[in-house]
Amino acid sequence: MDVAMEPANGFVHAGHRSDDAISSESPYRDIDRVLDRPGPWTDEAFQGTKDFLRTQSKVLVIGAGGLGCEILQNLALTGFHDIYVIDMDTIDISNLNRQFLFREADVGKSKAIVAADFVMSRVPGVKVTPYHGKIQDHPPSFYKQFNLIIAGLDSISARRWINATLVQMVDEEDEESLKPLIDGGTEGFKGQARLPMLTPPTAFPICTIANTPRLPEHCIEWASVLEWPKVFPDKKLDTDDPDHIEWLYQQATARADEFKIEGVTWTLTQGVVKNIIPAIASTNAIIAGKRDGLSPLTSASCCNEAFKIATTCAPFLSNYMMVRRPVVSPLTPQYVGNDSVYAYTFEYDKREDCPVCGGESITAEIGKDWTLERLVEWLSERQNMSAVLHASHSRRADTPRQISKPSLSHPSGKPLYFQAPPQLHDATKPNLDRLVSDLLADEGPELVVTDPNLPFSLGVTIAFV
Amino acid sequence: MPTRSSPSSPSARASKLAKMDDSIDISQAVTGSEPIPSYRPDARARRYDRQLRLWASAGQRSLEAARILLIGCDATGCQALKNLVLPGIAHFTILSPRITNAQDVTTNFFLHPDSIGQPISQEATRLLKELNPAVEGAARVEDVAELIQTDPNFFLSFNIIILSNGEPDVELALADLLWEASATTGGPDVPLMCVRNTGFIGRIEIQIREHCVVDTHPETTHTLRVDEPFPALEKYARELDLEAMDSLEHSHIPWVILLVRAVSIWKEQHGGALPDENSDEEKAEFKKLLVSERSKADEENFEEALAKAFLAWNKSEVPSDTRNLLEDPSVVTVSTSSKNLHLLLHTLLKYTSTSPHLPPTSPALPDLHSSTTAYIALQNLYKAQYQEDLARFKKLLASVLEGLGLPPDAIPDEEVEGFVKNTGGVAIVKGRPLRESKEAKGLLAEAIKEQFSETFLTPLAGPMHLALLAAERFYSTHKRWPGTKELSDMAEDQREMEETVKGIVSPLVEGFEELDDGYVESITEVVRGGFGCLPNTAAFLGGILGQEVLKLITRQYQTLDNTVIVDLVKSTLDKFRF
Repeated sequence: MDVAMEPANGFVHAGHRSDDAISSESPYRDIDRVLDRPGPWTDEAFQGTKDFLRTQSKVLVIGAGGLGCEILQNLALTGFHDIYVIDMDTIDISNLNRQFLFREADVGKSKAIVAADFVMSRVPGVKVTPYHGKIQDHPPSFYKQFNLIIAGLDSISARRWINATLVQMVDEEDEESLKPLIDGGTEGFKGQARLPMLTPPTAFPICTIANTPRLPEHCIEWASVLEWPKVFPDKKLDTDDPDHIEWLYQQATARADEFKIEGVTWTLTQGVVKNIIPAIASTNAIIAGKRDGLSPLTSASCCNEAFKIATTCAPFLSNYMMVRRPVVSPLTPQYVGNDSVYAYTFEYDKREDCPVCGGESITAEIGKDWTLERLVEWLSERQNMSAVLHASHSRRADTPRQISKPSLSHPSGKPLYFQAPPQLHDATKPNLDRLVSDLLADEGPELVVTDPNLPFSLGVTIAFV
Repeated sequence: MPTRSSPSSPSARASKLAKMDDSIDISQAVTGSEPIPSYRPDARARRYDRQLRLWASAGQRSLEAARILLIGCDATGCQALKNLVLPGIAHFTILSPRITNAQDVTTNFFLHPDSIGQPISQEATRLLKELNPAVEGAARVEDVAELIQTDPNFFLSFNIIILSNGEPDVELALADLLWEASATTGGPDVPLMCVRNTGFIGRIEIQIREHCVVDTHPETTHTLRVDEPFPALEKYARELDLEAMDSLEHSHIPWVILLVRAVSIWKEQHGGALPDENSDEEKAEFKKLLVSERSKADEENFEEALAKAFLAWNKSEVPSDTRNLLEDPSVVTVSTSSKNLHLLLHTLLKYTSTSPHLPPTSPALPDLHSSTTAYIALQNLYKAQYQEDLARFKKLLASVLEGLGLPPDAIPDEEVEGFVKNTGGVAIVKGRPLRESKEAKGLLAEAIKEQFSETFLTPLAGPMHLALLAAERFYSTHKRWPGTKELSDMAEDQREMEETVKGIVSPLVEGFEELDDGYVESITEVVRGGFGCLPNTAAFLGGILGQEVLKLITRQYQTLDNTVIVDLVKSTLDKFRF
């Protein structure tokens, strides 16, 4: 009996099917089964959208690391045919125990390029286009071309950036402008729904590091935070350079000996300065497990969400619009100490006080006597402006704070204070000494804040108290 | 003086022989003025750096000795193997008589279109081996059912067996073979992991007779014993001259010391009794006593001590999980064939039977507000007590071993010390035979009865388990899986599956008549998948399988006992013990 089957990419369809001769079926038989047949929980509007999946969809994968490798594999096998991948990193030997698209001979090469080539050679018919570089190098128009974006990133600031960029792109009039983002991390953008166990690495108080070290970690922090800049003022600490780690290890060990503290090791030194592990030893395994042991699970779950979105595309997207929840959270299983496997899906929601999703506006309560300079400082210091703006707790210089160099203007566009270019900076600098209440007297209490770290402008309403 | 080399100087590059085990045992570390050795990790340690942070070198050693058998060379099984080859098992064998076809290649990343027409186990072995040159791989192009008959010992030569989407009769035959082999004392106890998937639905079942976990990685390992301080700790706390201290020193006394001191004074005043945990009055009184030595209101150490004041009336005792282990008959009575963990627990039982009826003191101390010297002094007190307790434990162990006629070094020192440091972090998992669950007896029968009782709320995945069970019976009858025929035949398969589930439930539940929607829908989803392999489901199940194998081999972390069902339509995961 002849059965209507989609011809699959890259394979000749034998056309005739019998139950005994499996090889004459579509190579995509297994996937077709769930696309041809609605299930009990399938949306009523469901229709097999194989065409969209296999010929029209365009998917971007951000990150070609632990999660990225798995995501690329799964997308390619599922039938996504036009995949893009972006990553700025090169391959390190410590990646090889889980980033399975790379081999020893690839160490030092671009992750994005090697991963793309490998997937294309293993799964003929799929096109993977690599970008070796930063996500910030691309304008919003670049991100507009994709139907779906999957993020497998470990950098908090990069994840914040892509989320804010995508949310900013949404045009209420144009459904196409809403791009579902599937976040492979265990940490959300929206609402910053951090897991209790994934607390940021403890930043030790400087006074402990300098005066009363008790743990080996304190000695390592002393070496990296205080000694390094003192001894090498012109050289940036490169945590990937084993010679730099070696120097820190030597310094930390000497200091530990001095204070009779035990337990400084090479591995611990590397772990602390690279944030591989948090400073509290008992939680190492859990964090490491999340970061490095769970890629297959998290990414399979991500890709499954992508598959569901792509193949039930229309109903899924409008559903998104209704609940305004463009970030999809995958099922995230993990190890925990006294439980074997455990999983949950956590909810993301819009937060009213979030400048990314909540209308990009906050209210600042300030005194009548505040100068503009004081307001600028206040904005720079307020890392805690909202949960989403919550900057990384790491005090490392390479993790930018959310607002570092704010420029302020009236909603009309008239500048109040600009950090750059120099001409504008010089022209607006005198305003710093003036009272905010005077400056706002003419145009009302609204301000617009821009900052190199923000991919959007932030509205600030001033309320005097 | 330590040698200080500047970064990127050539001398720093001349790295010493890197030691795999980089974690220095705090209780044994020697401090001194000799030059600091580098311990810079070698290429192998760097390759495995991230995972070593998870299970340390002891876990890695077990992994590098492990031999894994995969039966059934499908995407799910190969994904599991990928997750084991990467971290560096010793060996894997793939057993399958099949020849690669086009569907295999589209779902399995470890096959290539060129593999079509070749033996599938050979092709997958070749591509999986590429992942890690240190791992040995072998393919056997043979039928598993035949091999069970002709060479059962072959299966017993592996550490773990994964059976991916096997025929139900084969699953049972192999499960029986392994369960019987483990029945003899000291016989091989090879864990069997059976995985099955259909579309978005997957299930993993594990059969193992007994599994010992040497480190569950509990969140805390310290035993501060504030309510029952060991003599040296109490003496130290009582002898501190707070009045002679300057304000800096005073505000840096560790809170543990402040509490121990207050408890000691309290006991003296109350005939040896602790503050009554049911009396708010006594608790308040204790806190008053605690802060009476505070020199000013905002001393951080006193704040910490107040926050931890509950430790003064929370009596230290043997944790309930440990107590349960100690009461287990296999621990109470030991023999020459007892496993190491049972001997250690048996010794702990003796250890805790004398005063102070507590497990040994751990050398671990949490970070707390303190000066360096006060912290180190406190740490040294705990370490010294640990050494004393360790010595007492070893003496008891020696007499246990002697009593059994075992040599005194029957258990390596490293293992004894690891146990004494972390007695709360061990576990014994007692498994169940797979046959019982497949025949809907034992715990599954109980669960079904409970499920259909009036008070029970329908669980998410219970119906799914029965749907999969019915599918296995369907296969045994028809030699094909439900949902593998034409669209029009799905309704027929569905009807038969529903009858099968009813047939499982009705002998167990009096007055049972109809299946509710949850069961009918679960059956529909199982049939819909047609026992086809979705790459995402395969990767997800392969992820769990990989994790569970790693936990079993390293004997670290709590293992799955014994069934997990994954529903990727609803994105849920549920565990059961059947």
